This record gives sequence, C-alpha cells and structure tokens, in this order.
Amino acid sequence: MKLIAIIKKEYREIVRKKSFIISTVLTPLIMAAFMFLPVMLMKMGKGEKTIRVADYSGFIFEQMVKIKKVPANEKNRPERKGVSGNRDYFDNNTGAEGSKLKFVKIVADGLTPAELLNRNIQAIRDKTIDGFLMIPHDVKKDRKLYYYSGNISDFDTNRYIQASIRTVISRQILIEKQIDPEIVNEATRDIDFETIKVKKEGTAKSSAGIEYMMSLFMLAILFSILMGYGQLIMRGVLEEKNSRIIEILISSTGTQHIFYGKIIGIGLAGLTQVAIWFLFALAMVGKFSLGLDSGIMNFLTLEIGIYFVIFFLLGFFMYAILFSIVGAAVNTDQEAQQFAAPISYLLIIPFVMGIMVTQSPNSSVALISSFIPLFTPTLMFMRITVSPPPLAQILAAIVMSLAFISFLAWLGAKIFRIGILMYGKKPTLGEILRWIRYK
Amino acid sequence: MNELALELKDLVKDFDGKMAVDQISFTARKGEILGLLGPNGAGKTTTIRMIMNIIAPDQGTIEILGRPFSEKIKDKIGYLPEERGLYRKMKVMDILVFLGELKGLRAEVVRARGRRLLKQFDLDRYEQKKVEELSKGMAQKLQIITTILHEPELLILDEPFSGLDPLNIELVTRILLEKKKEGVAIILSTHLMEYAEKIVDSVVMIDRGRKVLDGKLTQIKAQYGNKFIRIEYEGDGTFMAGLDYVKSHKDYGREMEIELIDLADKNRLLQEVSSRVSLNAFQLTEPSLQHIFIRKVNEGVPA
Repeated sequence: MKLIAIIKKEYREIVRKKSFIISTVLTPLIMAAFMFLPVMLMKMGKGEKTIRVADYSGFIFEQMVKIKKVPANEKNRPERKGVSGNRDYFDNNTGAEGSKLKFVKIVADGLTPAELLNRNIQAIRDKTIDGFLMIPHDVKKDRKLYYYSGNISDFDTNRYIQASIRTVISRQILIEKQIDPEIVNEATRDIDFETIKVKKEGTAKSSAGIEYMMSLFMLAILFSILMGYGQLIMRGVLEEKNSRIIEILISSTGTQHIFYGKIIGIGLAGLTQVAIWFLFALAMVGKFSLGLDSGIMNFLTLEIGIYFVIFFLLGFFMYAILFSIVGAAVNTDQEAQQFAAPISYLLIIPFVMGIMVTQSPNSSVALISSFIPLFTPTLMFMRITVSPPPLAQILAAIVMSLAFISFLAWLGAKIFRIGILMYGKKPTLGEILRWIRYK
Repeated sequence: MNELALELKDLVKDFDGKMAVDQISFTARKGEILGLLGPNGAGKTTTIRMIMNIIAPDQGTIEILGRPFSEKIKDKIGYLPEERGLYRKMKVMDILVFLGELKGLRAEVVRARGRRLLKQFDLDRYEQKKVEELSKGMAQKLQIITTILHEPELLILDEPFSGLDPLNIELVTRILLEKKKEGVAIILSTHLMEYAEKIVDSVVMIDRGRKVLDGKLTQIKAQYGNKFIRIEYEGDGTFMAGLDYVKSHKDYGREMEIELIDLADKNRLLQEVSSRVSLNAFQLTEPSLQHIFIRKVNEGVPA
C-alpha cells in the first residue's frame, strides 16, 4: 500500500510536469519530420521533368511514349492511367515513386539542327526545360543519341531513355522483318529488375543508409530518455534530501519502499510517454504509410517495437538506479553534476561504438560490448536493428541485464539508505563504498 | 502512573569518535508531555532520530508502545523533524493525502480529516494552493497537521515552535494540550526553555550527549526550593553582584531572577533593592528551567 502511494506520487509528479507534456508532444513531431523529410526531399529533387525531343528519325517518339514499363511492384500500387506522352517510372531500389518524365516532341519549324540545339540549350539554362533529346535520322544504323541536360548524372532518367529507345529500335527492326507482333512483344518485353540486400540472416528489401540512420535515431531517443529521466530522478532525490522531507518519509515507511517506489513510479511515467509515442506512430503509419519510405517501413516492425520497450526498460532501471544513488550521496546540484558526468559518459560510449556496430554487427568487439550490462540496452538494441543476432544471445543479454539490475538495486538501496541522511561535505568514493557495508 | 509509551535504555551513538549520545535512558508516558531539553548540539535530534529508527544506535534499546521498533509501529507515531520541508510544487491537499497514505490511511479518510484540520489551523483557503505559495508560518502549520493527521499515539516534535508567531505558538500549544488530554504521549524537544516550562509535565535535560536531569517538573522545581525571588524594576541593577547573601542572579533588564543562599535574607534583599531601584514587583518564586539547566551544566554532574 505504502509502496503504491509512493509510486502514485512520483508518477503524478512527472506526468503533470510541463516538460513531460512538451516532450511527449514534440518528440513524435520531430520523429515524423525525420521520417518524412527524406521522402519529401527526394520528391522535391525529382519532380516532374520536362524533356524536349527533336525526333529526326520519324518513328521513335510515337513508339517510345507507348511503351509501358512494368514497375517492379505494380501489384502493390494503385492503377495509373497511361497518359500519352507522359511516362511514369519507379525507382526499384527504394520502391518509392520516383520522378515523372514528360516528353514533349518539338518540330524543327524551319530551324537548322544547330539553331534548334542552341535554342534548347538556352532553355535548359533558363530552367524552362530539364533536358533536350536529339534523335538523329540514322539512329537505327548508328545507334547514337544526344541528350543535353543540366543534370547528366540522373542515372535513372538516362537509363530509361536509353532502354526505351533501344526497345523501340529493336521492335521496329523486327516488325520490318515481318515478325509476328506477338513474338515482337515477347522478345522486347521489359525485365523486372528488383534489388535485394543480402544480410547475414534473412533478407529484406532495404537500403543500408536508412537502416543506419534509423538505428542511430532510435539510439538517440533511448539516450535522451535515459539521460532526461536520470537527471529528473537525481534532482528529485536531492530535493527530498535537502528539504529534509526524507525524514518524514523514512519515519513513515522503509527506505526500500521509498527507493523502489520512486524508480518504479518514474519508470511508469517514462513508459507512458513511450506508449503515447507508439500509439502516435501506429496512427501515423496507418494513415500515411503510402508516403513513407519503405526502408523505414521495413525497419519499424512490431519486433523492433517490442525490443525497444524491453531495452528501454532495462536501460531505464539501470541508469535510474545510478542517478538516484548520486542524488542521495551528494548535497548540492554542482556536486550532483560532477558525479553524474561519468554516468553520462557511460551512455555516450555506445554512440561512438554504434558506428562500428552498425558496420560490423557480428564482430567480436560488437558481440562482447553488447554483453556488458551497462551497454546492453543500447548496443544490443542496435545490433538487433542492424542484423539480428541469434535469439539465444538476445535472451542471454536480457537475463544478464536483469541480474545486473537486481545487483544495482540491492547496492543502490544500501547507499541510498545511508547517503540520504548524510548532510554536509561531499562524500568520497571510499566513503560511499563503506556505506554498503553498514548494516 | 500512566501507561508507558516510550522507553529508552542506555542509548549510545558514536559519530566517528564524537559521542553524540552517551548512555541516555528515559521513559515517556501516555497523556503526558515530556520536554527533551538542552542547548543546540546537545544530542536531542540524534536521540529522536534513533527513536524514529532513522539512524541505528550503537548500543542500548528502544521500546515504543511496549514493543521494539517495527515498520508497523511507524503508523502510530507522529514525527515533526527539526528541519522542515515539504514538496514545494505539490498542492496542500495532495501532500496531506500522500503523507496520510504513507501512514496507512485511506485517501478519503485523509481528505475528511485534512479539511477539518486545515480549518482548525486556519488554512482551509489554501487547500488547492501549492506549498511554495504558503508563508513560512503557514507551511510550518501544514507540517504540524501532517504530523497529527493519522492520530498517532506517540507524538515526537523537534523544535515545533521555531518559525511561529506568538498567535500560532498559542494555537500549537492548545493542540498539544488537547492531544495530551486524548491520552497521546508527547515528546517535545526544544532549546526554548521558557516555552517548555509552561506546558511540559516532565523533563529530560541533555547536555553534550549526556542526561543531566530527569524527572517531573514539579518535583524538580521543589528540589531546588523556594530560594528564588523574582523582581520587576526600573533603574540600574548592577549592584546585585556585590551582595554576599545572593548566591546567583540573572538580570533580564527589567526583570531579575535572584537566588538567595538563605531564604531568611529576603527582607534584607527587599530593603536593599527598594533603596536602589524603583520596584514594581517582588515575588517569591520557583527557579526557572533555564536557571536549573545552567546550574546543572555548571555542576557537570550527570543526574
């Protein structure tokens, strides 16, 4: 009962804080921005492209705009109208909708080819068009095309133009040779080219860049929550100590109740926040999944969500206990910051190691460091996101963390009991260790 | 004799070579107010913290309500620590509910009792205010409410009057007397002897960790006899130091407490005083606790 009273009080105190409400609302917005921004940027970068075509061959343009390229994941996509002269294509790597190409046929209008070229080059410079395609008269024989553009490294566009014109020419030649149109169609049918990334275990359609970013991003969330709540706990304990209200608490119930009640109460508040974020994320994904990059979609599975909660809790209790010990042991905010600094470093180390872990998640360094209890919550989680280790390893890490938390809680309760009533000078590490031996 | 509420036997606490509490024993009874008196740093707070099981004694035993200390017994004790503090950001009623629940009460019970007590202490308008909005005196009263909220059988108050104005001192005194009538054992720790004198039934005096005096207030005073005279005067009282039949005196400026070697000299004293200063009152009296305390400490003899 008394434990519940403390849990309730700590929980309410946090949840009613302005900073709690603000961070609960702001974080999903930042997260959403982070997830949608790449897609939006990509779309902005690859908007509709207008390409003028000067077709001296006399047959290519009409054929070219009729070709229907079958996208890799046509089945998953809504029906699209094939508007003449307006071709869509899809970027198979990300599965996202890429840029649209709009081909506009121009007539010579009495201009010489050189004049036509100059005029269109000027149009490209003025950004009224994105490209100018010159199809020579002898293209069938010479197999040579000229494409002028401000951006010649847009390989998707280049490839599309090249491939579709090759198809048109092939068809033309076959039809001229009186081949059955059915056979022609069959012979020149497009190849569905799907890219699949090979992982150590299992395969998934995804790109390494996004995975790394997401992994680091989730790590950042984990880190900021652990740091934020850790500081909150530390300051709370310090306040109780300095206002001496702790004496009233101790005269009402045991220090164990106070210690565990505090950590559980604040832990539940943290979990509430994460739960709100998850619901928000689910709602977002349900509503806007079409607009999301499929790499992110593939990354954010239910499995990852469950692991996030598990490792969040493990990390939370570890660092909450450490920070509450600091709060109990010191007397002023400055002292608290001094003692808290090494704990913060413990949280930063996984960030530095994270780069290595994402690159070689199954290296022995990654393996060993993900089993060091203080790093497990962050590094093991990172390994799971990049390349899931065997379940046995994950379970072993969780069990080890639980054992470590029990040990920390036992140790913490002892230090808390003595430290919370020690006023005056800053304790040395030796003194703190001596407190553990007090009965 | 009333029922025993608290019994300390040979309590010892050694803080790294400094004897904070040295062989202290005393008892407190239900329906009585015990004054735990002594100057700052005498060991009063350390003794109380050991009673509350906040720190463990090095030696000695403590029995509360006939039993050794247990978690269960905490619900029957009301404790007002020397240094005050409440959660500054919490609302008054929320604090009462939280601390009440910590004493094993149900929230509804706390709310009903809390409202009554807030009214009694003239704080009912602040029920939904945050603690940081209260004045120091109001916060102090709120803290006293939290101490008696769960209707304890043993009340331990460490310097309950500090920070209170005379009006509120009277209010708290009245409440303590009420509680005493209800049969609550009250331990009142203070260094303000003139307040203690007015309400305590028995006294334990501590100096430098040792008990120097213990007993019923009336008996202690009787023991020191009626050799004391209190005068109220106007003028220069310095001549008193030169009178050889005066054992000691304490000059407060307009009042003086005089101890005679032999009470037979009282008329001599009256003549002397009335010839030197303008006399407003001349009264045979008991020694003050303050006086007794100073005497005891100077003697250096543990009682």
